[in-house]
Amino acid sequence: MKTLQKLRENSQQWEKYWRREEVIETIRRFFKDNGFHEVEVPLLLPTVSTEPFLEVFRTELTNDQGKKWPAFLPSSPEFALKKLLSAGSGSIFTITKSFRNGEGRSSRHNPEFTILEWYTTPGDYWTVAGQFEQLMLQINRGKDKLRYQGKEYSLKTPWQRLSVAEAFTKYAGVEVESMLDEAKLKEIGKQKGYLVTAKTTWEEIWNQIFANEIEPKLGQTGPTILYDYPTAQAALAKKAKDPRFAERWELYLAGMELGNCFSELTDYREQETRCKADLAERKKLGKTEYPMDREFIEALKLGMPPTGGIAVGVDRLVALFTDVLAVSETLFFPVEELFDKRNTI
Amino acid sequence: MTQIKANQLKRDMFVLYKNAPHMVLKCEFYFPGKGSAFARTRLKNVKTGNVYDYTYKSSESVEVVEVETTELQYLYQDGTTYHFMNPQTFEQHEVAEWVFDGKEKFLLPEAKMFFHSYEGEIIGVRFPPKVTVKVIEAASAVAGNSVNAPKKTVKIENGVEVLVPLFVKQGETIIVDTTTGEYVSRA
Repeated sequence: MKTLQKLRENSQQWEKYWRREEVIETIRRFFKDNGFHEVEVPLLLPTVSTEPFLEVFRTELTNDQGKKWPAFLPSSPEFALKKLLSAGSGSIFTITKSFRNGEGRSSRHNPEFTILEWYTTPGDYWTVAGQFEQLMLQINRGKDKLRYQGKEYSLKTPWQRLSVAEAFTKYAGVEVESMLDEAKLKEIGKQKGYLVTAKTTWEEIWNQIFANEIEPKLGQTGPTILYDYPTAQAALAKKAKDPRFAERWELYLAGMELGNCFSELTDYREQETRCKADLAERKKLGKTEYPMDREFIEALKLGMPPTGGIAVGVDRLVALFTDVLAVSETLFFPVEELFDKRNTI
Repeated sequence: MTQIKANQLKRDMFVLYKNAPHMVLKCEFYFPGKGSAFARTRLKNVKTGNVYDYTYKSSESVEVVEVETTELQYLYQDGTTYHFMNPQTFEQHEVAEWVFDGKEKFLLPEAKMFFHSYEGEIIGVRFPPKVTVKVIEAASAVAGNSVNAPKKTVKIENGVEVLVPLFVKQGETIIVDTTTGEYVSRA
């Protein structure tokens, strides 16, 4: 049954959508009360951020003279926000749409999704963690208990903080030296029964161990902040004290990955190197190609203040607070209802 | 044996996992923060009924188990075993309750459906997504609950309770979705 029909037949169905409205309103109020400015970012861009594994939507901008420009829909508002930070905006946030193409069926993804990003300056990833803790309590109407899919979770602060290195040792029995070493990790992967071939990369086996053995253990009674990722897993984050790691954390709760936070990389040379490497990787993977965003690098060159920043999937957050399993249930027009599977080209 | 890529896995397929046949209960695309794609599956061992979560690299090859598919007719229930017959050969088959995954309550007398078997054992069913059933017990419209949810609970043939719109009367036949247990329409 389509969402519209459900809404027509059962007025109780509206409740979760009005809760969605409330969640978004609370987010807005929280940041405005805490001295942030809300900004808008473009959704039609000549080039977009360089994550090698994300596929983008490509279109064309045309004018009345028949001139054409390649144009893209962004997979996150990150570059635009960082340009504003470099220009001196101070702490900012946006609630906007972002797009990811070429993804498979999943209850946790919609190709068009609502994303919250906030950047706090001066600050780092721990400043953001404290803000996220307060924000979640406020969305939960000040209560620290949350029921989701029949299970109770505690949002009581401070949330559990667990480093990636600790998590690998604790849940997968992999010591940090082996975790960071491609040959050793592949050998361990093989022993654990994962398919490891000559083509298997460190990133693949790292993520497979993570997905099978570690992630199911995170955020089971309350939020888990999993922090300090191997540098290869954090293209836009500042290096941590231990230079093998970068200052990145992800928030896990109730089987969901809710946010991805960095102490933002502000060194333009390092950023340029990583963007180039990402674009080369995109080419290798056969993903849509586009030029590097020079304006972004130039902005960093002029100086970006020390900043902690985070991306949060608003649709997942709403799913959590409306107690539904799939993000499509929080949308009036989920993609599978808009695009009939019989109408493929 | 056929091999497919993990990203082609679909619900209700049968695959070999740790050398045992498993049914795919769920398969979702999974994209860790910054990384390549994975296929996150829930697999049911078709011999024991035990359920496992396993995440494949989406490019990984998975062995598909060839199953036989036969149409059988429902005879009777004996505890947690359900007896069916092949209407062509009159051969009888026993089906364990877990195979129905909760849908057994919608088994109607003489219902026909397709079963999958592996090495002679029934390991899966293509349960009809909708069944047409008779309402055997229905109170007339309950007042006071009509603002938010104009629905009432009725009892259908095998004693199952279903939430239906107020206009449904006792003795009518209705169509019920066997996956969600929800009312679809009048038959």
